[in-house]
Parts: sequence; structure tokens; C-alpha cells
Amino acid sequence: MTSQIGPLLMLGAGLGFAIAAVATLDPGSARRMGPGAFPLLVGAALTLLAAITLVRNLRAPMDWHRPDPLAVLAVLGGAVAFAFFTPLLGVLPAAVLSVLATSSVVREFRWPWKFVLAFSVAAGVWLVFIAGLGIPLTAIRGL
Amino acid sequence: MELLSNLALGFTTAATLFNLSYCFVGVFLGTFIGVLPGVGPLAAVAMLLPVSFYLPPVTALVMLAGVYYGAEYGGSIASILLNIPGTPSASVTCLDGYPMAREGRAGVALFATAIASFFGGIVGVTVMVLLAPALAAFALLFGPAEYFSVMVLSLVAASVVSTSGALRGLNMVCLGILLGTVGIDINSGVTRFTGGVQELRDGVSLVVVAMGLFGISEVMVSARGATRSYATETFSLHHFLPTVAEWVSSIGPAIRGSAVGSFFGTLPGTGQTVASFVGYAVEKRVSRNRDNFGKGAIEGVVVPESANNAAAQTAFIPTLTLGIPGSTTMALMLGALMIHGITPGPRLIAEHPHLFWGLVVSFLFGNLFLLILNIPLINLWVRLLRVPHYFLYPTVVVLICVGVYSIDNSIFDIWMTLFFGVIGYLLRLFRFEPAPLLIGFVLGPMMEEFFRRAMLLSRGDPMVFLERPGSAALLGAAAILLVAAVVPIKSLLAGAGFRRPAHADEHE
Repeated sequence: MTSQIGPLLMLGAGLGFAIAAVATLDPGSARRMGPGAFPLLVGAALTLLAAITLVRNLRAPMDWHRPDPLAVLAVLGGAVAFAFFTPLLGVLPAAVLSVLATSSVVREFRWPWKFVLAFSVAAGVWLVFIAGLGIPLTAIRGL
Repeated sequence: MELLSNLALGFTTAATLFNLSYCFVGVFLGTFIGVLPGVGPLAAVAMLLPVSFYLPPVTALVMLAGVYYGAEYGGSIASILLNIPGTPSASVTCLDGYPMAREGRAGVALFATAIASFFGGIVGVTVMVLLAPALAAFALLFGPAEYFSVMVLSLVAASVVSTSGALRGLNMVCLGILLGTVGIDINSGVTRFTGGVQELRDGVSLVVVAMGLFGISEVMVSARGATRSYATETFSLHHFLPTVAEWVSSIGPAIRGSAVGSFFGTLPGTGQTVASFVGYAVEKRVSRNRDNFGKGAIEGVVVPESANNAAAQTAFIPTLTLGIPGSTTMALMLGALMIHGITPGPRLIAEHPHLFWGLVVSFLFGNLFLLILNIPLINLWVRLLRVPHYFLYPTVVVLICVGVYSIDNSIFDIWMTLFFGVIGYLLRLFRFEPAPLLIGFVLGPMMEEFFRRAMLLSRGDPMVFLERPGSAALLGAAAILLVAAVVPIKSLLAGAGFRRPAHADEHE
């Protein structure tokens, strides 16, 4: 049953775009197409394709991959830490915290090494992005 | 003579210290990424896109291209030493490269790889120099209908080769096109599908989509998979030089491999992986040494490596002359060009000669750098494979975040990247390969533009796509490709009493 979620998501996306195009945008005429025409056509095509995929998948379900929730959480945690701490502390502290967050799920990864990696990554970011390419980023807020 | 003066222009563009150093950085990073299984050239090019905005367009493209073909070199190293392909196209190299390594001839295999890759790369560049201007001149005859049809063909080709099947690939292409419609419609000025979010008025950024789909979701898939380093064995790397007999017997395979590679590289949607598989299959039929294939034959390393590197170069032909990317990585390159305000298409060579010829000449330098990098530095790459894999992932997450943030200093972009990361992860879980989505996303806006223009010119008659012979031929090719992929030919042949030869299934 779970393997039907994929085609169903596609069906939802196709219908969503097609309906939104009809409801909110002007389709225009065949000669002078409005902003809604092309999304409607492609949305309808996706709906049709997704429906065929769904039917075929019901007959012969394609196996799906088991998710790894811890890995997803770790990556999300790392990116969220970066997005959250960059405005507060600056890019470099946010990079350190992000590495610590992402690496927290790998058991084999010893703590001293996590810090070594975190500070090396921050140093690398400074070297490449700020010193090397001269991108105007706030390295450490308040410094 | 014109060719010589063009090459001279390319030489003066590429041979500046600035461009040469970025070319070197590109091929070095590419090899690095290629060596590491799990992170492909696509993710690497995606991660470097934001950096490339701070460089002049020629330099940016030289660097990104270096990453791309450098990864082809690097990919074979893990194939030979560990039997794990660093890039998909290097998987064929495992077949004979790994047996060679187990016989204690890893050094010879790596040397042969470097030389064959160099040879393939040079052949590919030569084909590009000769073919690209001719194709561009031909493409000047294209009207909007032909452009629309050639895009349909390349999208169909991209879905057909998708690992999860043509049907699912087409789903992803459509989703990509739809995502490309988000933002202001350039014809009418109307905002589409933004849900009132101000940041989406300019559309979804290519960097955000690419980083989310190929960076974040890739890390989610493989973050906890490999907790140990890959290389645990030791290799004998004392002997590098092949014997005289091996040199002689490699010449034919190198030429055939490069020819096959150059051909498949130019076709939309096929690319290096198909090139190396076909090259190997052809060689296995024609080689005098065919009985040793799979047991450590040097020809089995030379052919796929010359093929995939030739294809890596010729893949630039449709990208730069038609504006049609043959692969997902090429779609990113195309995106990079457009962000720099350069529209790829038949006029590119005429309007930006220094860009085109500079890039071509940089390929020569890049391939030379790779040759120099690969032979003395093999020990470095082997040592890299001994570093525990889990050091890599937290680093990649930070690089993605910093890269996305650096474009506009926008935290919103990071959230969007995460959103696409989760979408990409879900798609992978349910066996929808995200690569065709990106090609659809890049081509979508152009497709709509040409579609609307063609319809306007034909006064609203959709038959224009079938009445113009060029357009009809292209759509016909797309239809044939689609039918061939969707209709199970095997069962049709079986039903008609045909039987496939026993060895035909080996590479499927």
C-alpha cells in the first residue's frame, strides 16, 4: 500500500497545478495564450501520467526504499541549526553548530573528532567564501 | 584558417593564470568528488554554482566543466581499487579494472585509465571543435516550433534513460516544468503559483532546487550508510607501466571507445554511462582478446574510460549550440550560463566567441592537468579512500547551506532548499528519480516561450508542430523513443517467435 504514495503525490501535484491554473489564471486563446494555458496543459499531462503510473503500480507495485529517520533528522538538524543561528551569531558559529548537529547520529564518530571537524569546516568556510571569494557574509556577529 | 584563429582566441582566453588556476581547481575538486563514492559530479556542480556567480562567466564555466569531466577520471579510481564505482559511468570499469587490481596490477590499470581518459577527452574536444560550429549554423534555421520539438525530444530522452523507468521519468519532467512556471510570467506580468510569498515572485531559484534535490536528499540517503572507510586493503602500486604488447593492443580499443563515446555524448539524454556500456559491449564483440574480458583485460579498462571521457566533452555540443542539455549536469551548466545573462543557443558561438573557444581550449589544459594529477597523485587518492566516510556528510551540509545563503544572504533560500531536500528524499523513497525533474525545470520556461511563440505565428493552429518538416521529424524521433521505451519489446519479440541471443542481457 505504501508504494502507492509516490504516484498519489504526483497525481496531487498535477491536479493541484491544473486546478490552480484554471481557478486563478487566464488561459487566453489558442493564438494568444494567457499565463494559465501552459501550466494547465502540463498539469493535465502530469495528472494523466500519474494516473497511468498509479494503475501500473497497483498491478505490479514497485518496492520502495525504507526510510532512515535518524539520517533525515540529522541532516535536517544540521541545516536548521545553520538557518537558525546564522542571523543570531554569524556564519562561522552556525557552521560549527551545524556540523555538531549533523554528526550527532553517527555513533562511531568520537566527540573530539566532531569538534576537530566542526572547527576545520568553519575555518574552510572562512578561507574559501569570505577570504578567498570575498563574499560579504557576517563571519561572527558582533566582531 | 578561421578555425586556427578561433583556437588562438580560445588560447588567449584560457591560458591566463586566473582561468588556468580555476581550471585546475575544477579538475582537482572533480577528481576528489569522483573518487569518493556517494557524492557525484552533479552534487559537486550544484554546490559550486553559487561560488561561480562571483566569477566571470568564462572562468565559472571553465571551473564547473572541470569538476564535471574531472569526476569522470576520479570515478574510475574507486572502481579499480574497490570495485565500487565512484560515478555511475565508471561502473563498467569495475568489470576488468578490479580483477586487474586483484592480480596486483592496480598501478597498470590506473595508468591505462589515465592515458585512455586523456585520449578520449582529446578526441571528444576535437569532435566538438569540428562539429559545434556546423551544428550551430544549422540550428540558425530553427524556428520556435523546431525549438519546442527539440526540447520535447530531449525531455523524452532524459526520461527514457531514467533508472526508475520512462513513465516515472516523464512524471518528473512534467513536475519540473510546472515548478519552472512559478513566479512572474514574462509575457503578461501575472504572478503564478506563488501563494502570496514575496520571495517566490522571481521564481524558484535553480540553485535551491539543485542543492535540495541532489545535495540535501543525497546526504539523507547515504549519511548513515557507510560508517567505515572504504579502503581496507593495500594495493601494489609499484608497477605502473603497461607492457609493450598491452600498449599496442590498447590503441584500437581507445580509438573505438572514443568514437562510441563522442557519438553518444552528443545525443540528448544518453551521456557517459550509456557510452561506456555500449563501448564495452562493442569491444567485447570485435576484440581478439574477448575471452579475457571480465578477467582483467586491459582493453576492458581502456574502452569505457576513453568512451566516457569523450562523451563528457561532446555533451557540451548540444548544450552550447542548441541550448539543450543532454544530461542533468549539463542542465546545471546551462542554468549557470543563463544566470550570467548568456543565452545558450546557435548564436552563442558567434556572440560570445571567447566563451566558447576559451572553454574548448580549457578542456585541453584540463585534460593535461588530469593526466599530471592522476599519475603521481594516485597514492593521495588511495589515502583519501581510507578516511572514514562520515567526515564527509556534515561538511557537505554546511557547504550547501553556506552556498545557498551566500547568493542573496537569504535565510528563506535555506528553508526552500530544505523543502526540496525533503521532497527529493520522498521521491527517491518512492522510486522517482529526481534527475529528469531538474532538466524539466531548466527547459520548462524556454519551452513555454517557444510554444506560445509558435502558436502565435501559426495563428493558434497546433498542427504547426507537425506541418513543419524539422519539427515533425524531431517529434517523430521523440515518439519512437517513447514507444521503444514503454512497449516491452522483449515480450513482443518473444511473442513473434524471436529469441534474443544469450549474451544480450549481460549489460542490462
